[in-house]
Amino acid sequence: MATTSATPQRTVLTETSFWKRAAVRRNLSAYAFILPFMALFIIFNIGPFFWALWLSLLRGDLVDQVKPFVGLQNYLSLTTDDITLKVFLNSLQYTVSVVPIAVITALALAFLIGNKLVRFKDFYRAVVFFPLLASAAATAQIWSYILAPRYGVLTYLTGLLGIPEIYWLSDPDWALYGILLIEWWRGIGFHIILFLAAMLGVPEELHEAARIDGANAWQVATRVTIPLMRPVILFSVVMGTIWAFQLFDTVFVLTNGGPVHATATMVWYIYNHAFRYGQVGMAAAMGVVLLLIIMPISYVQMRVLGER
Amino acid sequence: MTQFDFSGNWRKAIRLLPQAVVVYVLLAALVIVMLGPYLYIFSSSFKETYTLISIPPQLIPEQFVWDNYIYILNELPFSLWFFNTILVALLVTVGTVLIDALAAYAFAKKQFWGRDFLFGLMLATIMIPGALLLIPAFLITNWLGLLNSYGGLIIPALANVLGVFLLRQFMQTIPEELEHAARIDGCSDFGVFWRIILPLSAPALATLSIVVFTSQWNNLVWPLVVLNDKDLYTLPLGLALLRSEFQVNYGITSASAFLSVVPLLIVFLFLQRYFLEGLTVGAVKG
Repeated sequence: MATTSATPQRTVLTETSFWKRAAVRRNLSAYAFILPFMALFIIFNIGPFFWALWLSLLRGDLVDQVKPFVGLQNYLSLTTDDITLKVFLNSLQYTVSVVPIAVITALALAFLIGNKLVRFKDFYRAVVFFPLLASAAATAQIWSYILAPRYGVLTYLTGLLGIPEIYWLSDPDWALYGILLIEWWRGIGFHIILFLAAMLGVPEELHEAARIDGANAWQVATRVTIPLMRPVILFSVVMGTIWAFQLFDTVFVLTNGGPVHATATMVWYIYNHAFRYGQVGMAAAMGVVLLLIIMPISYVQMRVLGER
Repeated sequence: MTQFDFSGNWRKAIRLLPQAVVVYVLLAALVIVMLGPYLYIFSSSFKETYTLISIPPQLIPEQFVWDNYIYILNELPFSLWFFNTILVALLVTVGTVLIDALAAYAFAKKQFWGRDFLFGLMLATIMIPGALLLIPAFLITNWLGLLNSYGGLIIPALANVLGVFLLRQFMQTIPEELEHAARIDGCSDFGVFWRIILPLSAPALATLSIVVFTSQWNNLVWPLVVLNDKDLYTLPLGLALLRSEFQVNYGITSASAFLSVVPLLIVFLFLQRYFLEGLTVGAVKG
């Protein structure tokens, strides 16, 4: 690490006459820099990844020293288990609901804040960021009071509008949407802020040109602004989908998967089978299925990050 | 001419008035929806037990009492949770930034054998869902004897792939000439990193610090699997298990939830820019 070389290492002279020494030194120095990161990365990322694949072929609980090899039995069990199907459907239903709702409302709200009449845009940006600051656990506690039956504020307000009382978190037909409402509140700022940045980046001349050609506000938005925001909208959808499939914290705190598995998600299944029911193999198999779902979606995320 | 312009603007203002009214009414609604829940639990944290369940709900309690705060500070290990959270979040932040910066420097500025392969490997791990790694990471932490300890919370969190990307991208923009000049002045490799690269990367280091600190402050799953001892709990874990392990009501959950958010709210007000920048790193919402 402490190689002191007075000559800049790039010159041809050093490259040829001290080729071996310079190259070896340069390599060793670079490895010293990445060593702490790589050691932790291999122990806590790469290692666990392959271990998880292996675990999905075994049967046993966390503390078992010897876990018998059962081949693809865990994956077969997943296909015959009633709860598995419920968990898949819940995660799917939740994702295909929350992502379009969040993206479309965020787009509308970004247009609202981006409106030329609005002063102090930074203030509104901060306001929509606020919910992103709280932990899922704190947010869950906040909303469990707001959504409480009878004396919850939202329940009371909807009652004033003549809407029959909804048991947001205890009615099996509604619980997933109660969770969705909370997660919408928690995550919407992310999408709004991304959209706002993209929207304000669209050159004003393009809007002007469209208006001169006789386009109204709606046409300018749908034909000029939104098409130009497409990459950001795609990124937003990708991130929203990745998070939606990994929903856990809010469910864990508020409903623990209930009532009658109405809010049981894939990660909830993984957590419970590994750490509660002593079925590590089943949990790992579910994890691999989650990986297969997430991978093609986050491939897009990886490309975006790789390009930058 | 000026007069004409003035009246023109005036007419324009009248024409835009209805639109402005609609826009600001909608914005007001947005502010209420986004901030309302915070304000409501803040006010509820001063409610007495029976006013918590009054119908209609009281937006502002008739009587302010400190009972809930007294309870969480005296009867719950809340101040310990608070301390644990600060300690763990700070140590993870400092450790991650240092370890990531070292690696990012090598990836940004050095040629070495296997560099592109390792970088591709890191990029690929972004696609792995955290839940899949949870079980083996737990087993490894157990094997290292770190369960139920600060070390078990901190060490597995230190290698942050997204952080290396963020810092590498920034460090690539630092001109080579600065490094060469430092080397001619007799700086070692580490000297160049410590005296030139690190100070110049300050904005990116700040963004990463904010991202890591926030996600650690709010992390629930890892403390949940690693910790047993209630005195080691962090705030999210304490909050999550409040109602299953302690006899509490909404006044107590409101007070605890509010107190757990306040530090980040304060940091946010001062360092907003870095929070907004960190957003695109995709790690703020845990």
